[in-house]
Amino acid sequence: MAFTVLAAVDAHAQGATKPTRIVSLDLCTDQILIELVDRARIAAVTHLAADPSVSAIPEQAKGIPFTRGAAADVLRHDPDLVLAGPFGVSATVDLLRRLERNVVVVPQAPDLAGVRASVRLVASAVGETEKGAALVDAFDRRLAAIAPATPGGAPGAIIYQVGGTVSGTGSLAAAVLVAAGFRNMATEYRLARNGQVSLEALVAMPPDLLVLSSAADEYRTAIADNLRHPALLALRRSHASIELPWQLWLCGTPHVADAVARLAEARTRIEARRP
Amino acid sequence: MTMPARKPIDPSLLIGALAAVAAIAFLLSLAVGPSGFALGPGGEAGSLIFWEIRLPRAILGALAGAALGLSGAALQGYLRNPLAEPSLIGVSGGAALGAVLAIHLGLSQTIALALPAGGLAGAVIAMLAVVTLAGIQGGPVTLILAGLAVSAIATALISLALNLSQNPFASVEMVFWLMGSLADRSLTQVWLAGPLIVAGMGLLLVLGRALDALALGEDAARSLGIDLARTRLLIVAGTALSVGAATAVTGIIGFVGLLVPHVLRPFAGHRPGLLLPASMLGGAIFLLVADVGLRLLQPLVDLRIGVLTALIGAPFFVWLVLRTRGELAP
Repeated sequence: MAFTVLAAVDAHAQGATKPTRIVSLDLCTDQILIELVDRARIAAVTHLAADPSVSAIPEQAKGIPFTRGAAADVLRHDPDLVLAGPFGVSATVDLLRRLERNVVVVPQAPDLAGVRASVRLVASAVGETEKGAALVDAFDRRLAAIAPATPGGAPGAIIYQVGGTVSGTGSLAAAVLVAAGFRNMATEYRLARNGQVSLEALVAMPPDLLVLSSAADEYRTAIADNLRHPALLALRRSHASIELPWQLWLCGTPHVADAVARLAEARTRIEARRP
Repeated sequence: MTMPARKPIDPSLLIGALAAVAAIAFLLSLAVGPSGFALGPGGEAGSLIFWEIRLPRAILGALAGAALGLSGAALQGYLRNPLAEPSLIGVSGGAALGAVLAIHLGLSQTIALALPAGGLAGAVIAMLAVVTLAGIQGGPVTLILAGLAVSAIATALISLALNLSQNPFASVEMVFWLMGSLADRSLTQVWLAGPLIVAGMGLLLVLGRALDALALGEDAARSLGIDLARTRLLIVAGTALSVGAATAVTGIIGFVGLLVPHVLRPFAGHRPGLLLPASMLGGAIFLLVADVGLRLLQPLVDLRIGVLTALIGAPFFVWLVLRTRGELAP
């Protein structure tokens, strides 16, 4: 589906001049947009882009006006291009389209190919196809430089988050694990319907690498107590674990390559310890 | 009471039997979990699971259930109101709000005890608000309405606090506070809340004689030498301590305090004094068994403990309303 949209956007971009009042309504399109165009051409992004707890580039987003995403607020910027994601803004998107605004919806990237597709889609929408291609090339070069897995079977890893949520198959996070040479162990646990694993199941069958999406003390709330649980701390002492900030893999941006690189590094350490 | 009088069971037999069942429920809670049935620690992982995961869960389940059952019985006896119960009259909601504020104002970060203290303060404020709104002598319906109002305010303020806190997990946290959870709790929480829960239950347990006398009416109680002001203070302090501290670490678990005293009342021969320790043990049994059931159902059915107790307790609440409709009419 992404590719039919891509073709349509290309046709639009070729004839017209480049959009200069771009509004982005999604954390993921925010980040790609900021990497691709001059700030002068960005009218507004979401407030999340400058939020260091979810954004990979909060510093670069500082100072750009932000929008909360309501149609009236978006129209205030009189945008010639609106970038949206798949979540939470479908009513706004419908309304903007009915008002004949140029809206491009960028699907969520489910894997590394999806990252490339997202970058290319945004790049052609903003009329920066070459910059987009360069970004994708750099992304691919980073991935190619990652150490290949040594034979002997991929070690198992699990991405364990606040509240015991685990990144399951079909998610970008899981694709990052696989790209770094791990086996995603999410399917090997008896996960609850909402994708959570109990601490007990985790301790009973520890992964070769425990990947934590935030530091133990980043969230001092009750639901994040699982990251400070004495049993988890004991597990981290006896088994390999790394903290991989979710800012790096929450969105399908080229920063995903950083996540893959850090995981692959952890994998080489685990493999070196193998008998 | 319209219940047919049953021949009361010998008090020590009743308490002994309930204590035995509670002990079995506790052991069952230690034995059941996603990694399989095991009584006692085995191996490195096994010992971690037993001491750090199952033991705190069982202790907190027992303590929270006991606190809710006991305070339900005490409130029903003191207010002479069959519908009085910590979550229905807004005490649990106030406690959860206090705990949420303690966390999001950063107080619990500096002093760990601020968490149960927040729950306690919230419970006291909610209780005073309800009693002020409904009046001590207000009928059952007035009390429930006042409780509903206080609960609604507490829930709205919890939601506001979580929204303002700007953390990406606000909605998940909302579910934790409103539906309760014993999952992945640790000994940290047991040490934080346990002593306060026990202290609160101690205050409520000494009320037996006062509640027995109050069943005869306030004048009769006074003539029997009951200090009503002291009784009221003990009720408020005991409920706030036990329910406040428990809610601060488990979230709101509803209907335990309603269901348990009503089920046990016929066995206690309608003596409020005996109903106190019986409901304390009964509450522990109910919550432990519900939590064991929850773990056995997973991952087929993924329920929150508060949802399960509500699923069992709410129909009972409806039945209670229907049964006492005559008495409840204003």
